[in-house]
Amino acid sequence: MRVVAMVSGGKDSCYNMMQCVAEGQKIVALANLHPKDRDELDSFMYQTVGHMGIEILASAMGLPLYRRETKGKSTQTGKQYVPTDDDEVEDLYSLLETCKHELQVDAVAVGAILSDYQRVRVENVCSRLNLISLAYLWRRDQTELLQEMIDCQVHAIIIKVAALGLVPDRHLGKSLREMQPHLLKMRDKYGLNVCGEGGEYETFTLDCPLFRQRIVVEDIQTIISSADPICPVGYINFTKLTLQPKEAAGAASSGGNEVVFVKRSLDYISDLNESTYSDLSDPDFSETELELIEKETRLREIA
Amino acid sequence: MVNFTVDEIRGLMDKKRNIRNMSVIAHVDHGKSTLTDSLVSKAGIIAGAKAGETRFTDTRKDEQERCITIKSTAISMYFEVEEKDLVFITHPDQREKECKGFLINLIDSPGHVDFSSEVTAALRVTDGALVVVDCVSGVCVQTETVLRQAIAERIKPILFMNKMDRALLELQLDAEELYQTFQRIVENVNVIIATYNDDGGPMGEVRVDPSKGSVGFGSGLHGWAFTLKQFSEMYSEKFKIDVVKLMNRLWGENFFNAKTKKWQKQKEADNKRSFCMYILDPIYKVFDAIMNYKKEEIGTLLEKIGVTLKHEDKDKDGKALLKTVMRTWLPAGEALLQMIAIHLPSPVVAQKYRMEMLYEGPHDDEAALAVKSCDPDGPLMMYISKMVPTSDKGRFYAFGRVFAGKVATGQKCRIMGPNYTPGKKEDLYEKAIQRTILMMGRYVEAIEDVPSGNICGLVGVDQFLVKTGTITTFKDAHNMKVMKFSVSPVVRVAVEPKNPADLPKLVEGLKRLAKSDPMVQCIIEESGEHIIAGAGELHLEICLKDLEEDHACIPLKKSDPVVSYRETVSEESDQMCLSKSPNKHNRLLMKALPMPDGLPEDIDNGDVSSKDEFKARARYLSEKYDYDVTEARKIWCFGPDGTGPNFILDCTKSVQYLNEIKDSVVAGFQWASKEGILADENLRGVRFNIYDVTLHADAIHRGGGQIIPTTRRCLYAAAITAKPRLMEPVYLCEIQCPEVAVGGIYGVLNRRRGHVFEENQVVGTPMFVVKAYLPVNESFGFTADLRSNTGGQAFPQCVFDHWQVLPGDPSEPSSKPYAIVQDTRKRKGLKEGLPDLSQYLDKL
Repeated sequence: MRVVAMVSGGKDSCYNMMQCVAEGQKIVALANLHPKDRDELDSFMYQTVGHMGIEILASAMGLPLYRRETKGKSTQTGKQYVPTDDDEVEDLYSLLETCKHELQVDAVAVGAILSDYQRVRVENVCSRLNLISLAYLWRRDQTELLQEMIDCQVHAIIIKVAALGLVPDRHLGKSLREMQPHLLKMRDKYGLNVCGEGGEYETFTLDCPLFRQRIVVEDIQTIISSADPICPVGYINFTKLTLQPKEAAGAASSGGNEVVFVKRSLDYISDLNESTYSDLSDPDFSETELELIEKETRLREIA
Repeated sequence: MVNFTVDEIRGLMDKKRNIRNMSVIAHVDHGKSTLTDSLVSKAGIIAGAKAGETRFTDTRKDEQERCITIKSTAISMYFEVEEKDLVFITHPDQREKECKGFLINLIDSPGHVDFSSEVTAALRVTDGALVVVDCVSGVCVQTETVLRQAIAERIKPILFMNKMDRALLELQLDAEELYQTFQRIVENVNVIIATYNDDGGPMGEVRVDPSKGSVGFGSGLHGWAFTLKQFSEMYSEKFKIDVVKLMNRLWGENFFNAKTKKWQKQKEADNKRSFCMYILDPIYKVFDAIMNYKKEEIGTLLEKIGVTLKHEDKDKDGKALLKTVMRTWLPAGEALLQMIAIHLPSPVVAQKYRMEMLYEGPHDDEAALAVKSCDPDGPLMMYISKMVPTSDKGRFYAFGRVFAGKVATGQKCRIMGPNYTPGKKEDLYEKAIQRTILMMGRYVEAIEDVPSGNICGLVGVDQFLVKTGTITTFKDAHNMKVMKFSVSPVVRVAVEPKNPADLPKLVEGLKRLAKSDPMVQCIIEESGEHIIAGAGELHLEICLKDLEEDHACIPLKKSDPVVSYRETVSEESDQMCLSKSPNKHNRLLMKALPMPDGLPEDIDNGDVSSKDEFKARARYLSEKYDYDVTEARKIWCFGPDGTGPNFILDCTKSVQYLNEIKDSVVAGFQWASKEGILADENLRGVRFNIYDVTLHADAIHRGGGQIIPTTRRCLYAAAITAKPRLMEPVYLCEIQCPEVAVGGIYGVLNRRRGHVFEENQVVGTPMFVVKAYLPVNESFGFTADLRSNTGGQAFPQCVFDHWQVLPGDPSEPSSKPYAIVQDTRKRKGLKEGLPDLSQYLDKL
């Protein structure tokens, strides 16, 4: 299928693209909605911080980019969505309409994981345009997913924090790998969503196996949007980004062009079958207990 | 020589109807420990001649030096009651047939208010209380406090009028005056009892009555005491009247005319009050003869009262002789023993009505029924009320009462701390009891096992409990209720080791200190300061001394004592406060307003609590405080700690998903009410209303990480806009002094922002009692100041009474509250200055 990928620059959209490629889809273009004159809209639908990096991201991937402005205004914030003229969802509709027209795509890749709000709206737009929405990350376990992204060499940095337990001056600019332990700790303490699905944090991908060149951050500007003492909110603006060619295969040891194994849907199913003790999936069974059960089975067989 | 063996005691432990668990309670310096000596000497543990001076139950060195009890001390004693007295015990559950031996487990408690947490711990494990009142100073503030606590715990009181020797020798009261004094004290005590006890309640009538023998008179120091029963027995043969009938005649408005030999009900010229005539007159005569060295009279008198002096006592005279004579004539131990055995309840009787006050779980489960019937064969239920230090540093005996079942050496038990909830594993340990021991005042005796109804100590439990806990063998047992203290730790000091390398020793020492005292709190502030909080200056002084000398064994640096404050609001918020969540997709709208006067106290006392049925609570609030019933039904929670005197109330109208965020809002509220906006102190008396909530439609965007900080910000904004104020703790201060010193008291109090609200002369004495309110913050050094200004004649007793708003606006840099807020912020390592509203308030 020909796929247009919705990108925000974040880890989820990039990892979703990797899943598309692994499943054999062909990504023909990227699409993005960006704010008009502000950096952060606190939109209900789209990630807007880091929008200034999208163009460079597209050129890193070597794909054409379709962009459209959005005012980021939601008129319908309920669970259901009925097409309304000035809602931000309509911006998505017109963007995808253009894509479909010019590129004859069949599907849209979106990186939603758990937000029903996003899913309902994307599906609404897709059904109206007769497109298929590809959301490989939908309803995946967030902790597992974060681990997979890190394993698959998605190198993303935190560019916005807005939740209890995350602090701008300490956490902005950190990579996923560095943040993972802290995120897990905050999940246990305050019930934080480790993939940031509740708007806890946003990321920007600097490198992933799909990129032909890697993005290098030259200069940034940190903005604290609300400096309240309990739970400050802040984000990063990229003022200068450059591209750097990836090293040739010779530097494979550094992990540059190494082939990464991306799990596909079939892999998950075989994963399930592989476990020998699938009927003993009770995690409370300790090693000795398992041994005991094995012994009993053996004895029974002998008898 | 001790006239009983551990085996005898162990044998009696099974005869649960012959057990009396009792505490001795009173105002400071009314002579509890001295009086206890009489019983201890009767048991043969100390020599009779030394009784009254030894204060056997004051086991610590500093207790002996200062002549003040600091820790409560338990002692088990064995007595035999004579056959003729046994008939007075009528209730079938009050004595075993064919058994004269009685086991008395006595706890001597401190009288100073600063240590009243020790009294609370003692009361919990006993069923009866011997209330000692100094007949010269009468019923004092602490007498009332401990008595009130006793009644609330369903402890039956008996009364003892102490220091009769002073009344006779120093004040030289005549017989009728003395009777009036006694009468007044009995009345005062009964008024207190009547105020806090319901006669129709499960405990029945508990008032004390001299004519029933539940009031004793005497002198602990001299070792003599009597009840009307003793005298009645002496006269009953002469009058040919039944002992019980005669006891009724010997108290109250009963007069005897010696000429006509007739009893009369009114005072007339030629009759005399029976109490004075038959009881006080003989005592007065003995005093008069001996103190005035009337040798001949002494001989005849002694013969009359049936006292024969031992050879070595013949040479004594004056006070020494008086003591010997009185002690032989009216031995205090005997009178006390009879009062205790006859009038205090056995565990069988007491646990029947105490169970519902003691047990948290359902009142019909196995444990509850076993406690109710004091069943030694039921599941073990034991409450640990305090930790007693052992000679082994850092180890403690867990001291408590077996309410059901049997606790034995080596037995495997469930040890449940106060935070244990049935079905969960928190605060629960399953361990074996290393040893069970009997507490004998200054020493302990090992014992095989202890059945229900007894008090004992356990070895090997201290690692698993902080201060108190429940020990059981019943898997589904709930906790025994935690004790409620009458004082709160309002005075605090910061400590640090002089040598920074000793910090680990200090931390370890603080842990031990927290264990050894039922009330003290050891806290580590976020700034890294180690704080010790106690009930008063004396309490802190003792704690610090123990910490330095016994627990940490390192030199310490101590800060000046500081007071903990409360934050409140004085008006309703002047605007609707809106705060957005970090992701900007959720909004909360709230206001803060003060609670009506009296409601925070109602919450403190448990009249309004989180556990009430919500409809009943709403009705109460609307009747007493004029709350809107529908609103009052929607109290979400109390805070801090789920029980504090603040609440958050849902005033929203049809908000979607509101229930899903309730937990997060509650968590944010607990946080904000624990650490107030001004100085990180607890809030008090603040009501928050939630007016509107806008939430993201998607559950994932309104999790705890978003709602908790929003709630906290919004609550802070609401508090800032509602004119926040500081509250300071205030002592009720009772000062006794002669009239000449009253002027000096006023001067000292005025300088310390205190004010007098009551001033009375103690009837029949030249003493005055002044009652005043004194801010705790001004009380440091108050005692010393008062003494120096009154020539050492005034003695204050300060007990925490209430919280009062500190006048002045904390946002005015020139005001006193502002200075306090800044000091506190500095001490806690917070940013100095005032909280900025714009940081908490968002625009739509």
